[in-house]
Amino acid sequence: MDFFYSYIALAEIYVLLGLSTNLLVGIVGIFSVSQAAIFGVGAYVVAYLLMNTAVPFLPALLAAAALCVALNILVTLPSLRVSGDYFVVTSFGIQLLATAIFTNWTAGTGGAAGLPGVPAPLIFGQELIEPGAFLGLATAGMALGCLGFWLIMRAPFGRLLRAIREDELAVAALGKSVLRAKVSAAALAGAFAGTAGGLYATFLSFIDPSSFDLDASILLLAMVVVGGARTLAGSIIGPFVLLALPQALALIDLPTSVAAAARQLIYGVLLIVFMLFRPQGLLGEKL
Amino acid sequence: MLWLHLLVNGLVSGCALGMVAVSFSLIFATTKIFHVAHAGVYSMGGYLTWSALRHGAPEPLALLIGIVACGLLGALIQKLLYERLARSGATHLVVLIASLGASAVLQNIIAGVYTSNVLRFALPWADRTVPIGGVLLSMTQIVTVGIGLATYAGVMWFAHRTGLGKRMRAVASNPFLAEITRLNPRDVHVVVVALGSAIVCLPGALVPLDLGLQPFGGVPMLLTATIAMIAGGVGSISGAFVLAVAIAVLQNLSLLVMPGEWSIGVTFFVFVIFMLFRPRGLFAT
Amino acid sequence: MSAYLRVVGVSKSFGGLRALNDCSFTTTKGLITCLVGPNGAGKTTIFNAITGFLVPDEGHVAFQGTSLDGFSPQQVVATGIARSFQNLRLFTDLTARDNVLVAMPGQAGETPLGAIFRPLHAARATAQRRAAAREVLAHVGLADGADTMVRNLSYGEQKLLSIARLLATGAELLLLDEPTSGLSGAALDRVMEVLRGLQTDGKTLLVVEHNTRVVQQIADEVVFLHQGHVLAQGSPQEIITDPALAEIYFGGVI
Repeated sequence: MDFFYSYIALAEIYVLLGLSTNLLVGIVGIFSVSQAAIFGVGAYVVAYLLMNTAVPFLPALLAAAALCVALNILVTLPSLRVSGDYFVVTSFGIQLLATAIFTNWTAGTGGAAGLPGVPAPLIFGQELIEPGAFLGLATAGMALGCLGFWLIMRAPFGRLLRAIREDELAVAALGKSVLRAKVSAAALAGAFAGTAGGLYATFLSFIDPSSFDLDASILLLAMVVVGGARTLAGSIIGPFVLLALPQALALIDLPTSVAAAARQLIYGVLLIVFMLFRPQGLLGEKL
Repeated sequence: MLWLHLLVNGLVSGCALGMVAVSFSLIFATTKIFHVAHAGVYSMGGYLTWSALRHGAPEPLALLIGIVACGLLGALIQKLLYERLARSGATHLVVLIASLGASAVLQNIIAGVYTSNVLRFALPWADRTVPIGGVLLSMTQIVTVGIGLATYAGVMWFAHRTGLGKRMRAVASNPFLAEITRLNPRDVHVVVVALGSAIVCLPGALVPLDLGLQPFGGVPMLLTATIAMIAGGVGSISGAFVLAVAIAVLQNLSLLVMPGEWSIGVTFFVFVIFMLFRPRGLFAT
Repeated sequence: MSAYLRVVGVSKSFGGLRALNDCSFTTTKGLITCLVGPNGAGKTTIFNAITGFLVPDEGHVAFQGTSLDGFSPQQVVATGIARSFQNLRLFTDLTARDNVLVAMPGQAGETPLGAIFRPLHAARATAQRRAAAREVLAHVGLADGADTMVRNLSYGEQKLLSIARLLATGAELLLLDEPTSGLSGAALDRVMEVLRGLQTDGKTLLVVEHNTRVVQQIADEVVFLHQGHVLAQGSPQEIITDPALAEIYFGGVI
């Protein structure tokens, strides 16, 4: 049963992260391969605070989210100045830079060896160690994220973002601030990714750079693409499908070195196949 | 004399990087596709050449096999992926995601077949050194500079002196005009992507002589090369090559003051500076 | 009569090409001013310069006595000027109503915080605005198409929608870039009728127009632009019957 709970809890964390990516990539239309980096910052901040200071879990999560809001705005800002292709470079650069920091700043992040022994979250005197207990927290986090996403998509803000994705210039000509809308979306995406990172670190109790590298960003994109861009349903189904994949792959007896490559290979194939034949994903709208 | 040593290393790796930048620039300027999968083709080039060597092919033949295979791979990507996407009216974002997917596929095929461990490219002559002007250069370095400069000259000649190169530049500057004058941009695109892919096999095979083969080495390489292209001015072959050399020199000299793990930071810093002060690049057309 | 919009000595070069050359003219409140001139005369460029999409090399633009120098497009709209585009630039994946709704100023729920923390307030405001949007659409005769995706509207309907979207901004001075191009027959008449209706409602219009028949029927004043410079400003009759201008307009086209 624990195994099943773990799968659900992890998928729920990725739903939160997928919402963040969907907001940027699907709704605003910014190509980003650096969301895993923001996710990582959230994870490392919570891990560090819980392991080295007396800050309780929820304030630590809040601090991580706040930092990720600021960071994601900073990271997304170039997309306001430079055209699409230049932002691709920015995004790749930030992801590689973040990986370099996670791997080499040993004092803060534990380096390539990672940070073991991140304490389980303590909420209202309850220590959520068992996957079943943690599941409640993950579900609450996902539910809040989904509610926020849903409210935004049906509010004028959601409409404004859709309009921006289609034609920024026309939006500006109608007297709307494209800058403010994009910064707001980036902030929101940062909050989602940071919170997801904090949950991830405390759930696994161990983090290392490999969870937040370029491959992780590709996995995230695959989740959004397979589930479907721009819809809540798509963001929810994507992570559940893609995280089931490695489990299915485990049934085939592959050596570990090949298994990791096979997994990433499948993510790559999924990106290509969906872009070619079903750009709207399973339950989304056309990218 | 550490700095001189680093300077020379920078110039040499700049020639390799320059080939990546020039090949990417050819493809980007003509097709307008931000061809992320170029990183995968780069890695493929190294492994294919290495494989051919292992099966007993002499060096020039092995390299030729790699070059032809990469060219075919590029043509295939253009035909089967980009052209189909263009026909289905895919947005820029969709093409980018597909290209990223293709990059992941290529790199992980390599990782699956050869594992992701670093493979040594042991060639008897590669480490032999020759003193030139007070600096010891390895044969690998000499060959890299020679091939790098020859490639740059060759691409310049191709773009400005041959009929196909002129067609390519016409398609790059105005696809619509090219279409109505029956230059057929689609054919030009296939040829250019194939050509760019064939070229990128050269650094793909040369760089590992020094550093060993690694399936995911293409991504940082391509990122640096695209930064060189942008800083040099999109569409300028010389700009891409010169800036690639400059960035590689800067990366190497930065080793004087900080450890090598942070060289990606140096590269990215160059990009940020250009974005802030000269977003259209040095040699903008 | 005092100038409502005043363009003084605006120049703009792109590389070697001088798109606007010491361009000066004025419009009068409540009137329809048509901007005419051969292709490449700089008509769209002057729109871009007025609305903050382009920073002129020289010259000034003032609206109701306020200088617009250095204003962003957003700030220009806030002063009460809105412009349409020749190629419409509608949001084709949204409904006609949503296109109009995007344009309405100062909405509750247009920020993420408003959307998340005051959802009921945003929903109530949205309900009111939906009704208002319907009125705007009815004004141009598109009430029935409110829930149609823009890409399923006819070209004539899309043209009308782009006018409705302008109206929704609440602007007083509307800059229309070729609102009748590509239209004929009933669709053309309908757009002209809408334009006159806007004038009756008290709006001021500056219209780039190619069709001399349309100019004669709707214009109160005509500004003749040639090679980025205003050659003449006057009544439609004066401009259209001027043989020198006719020569440039019809004979001067290469």
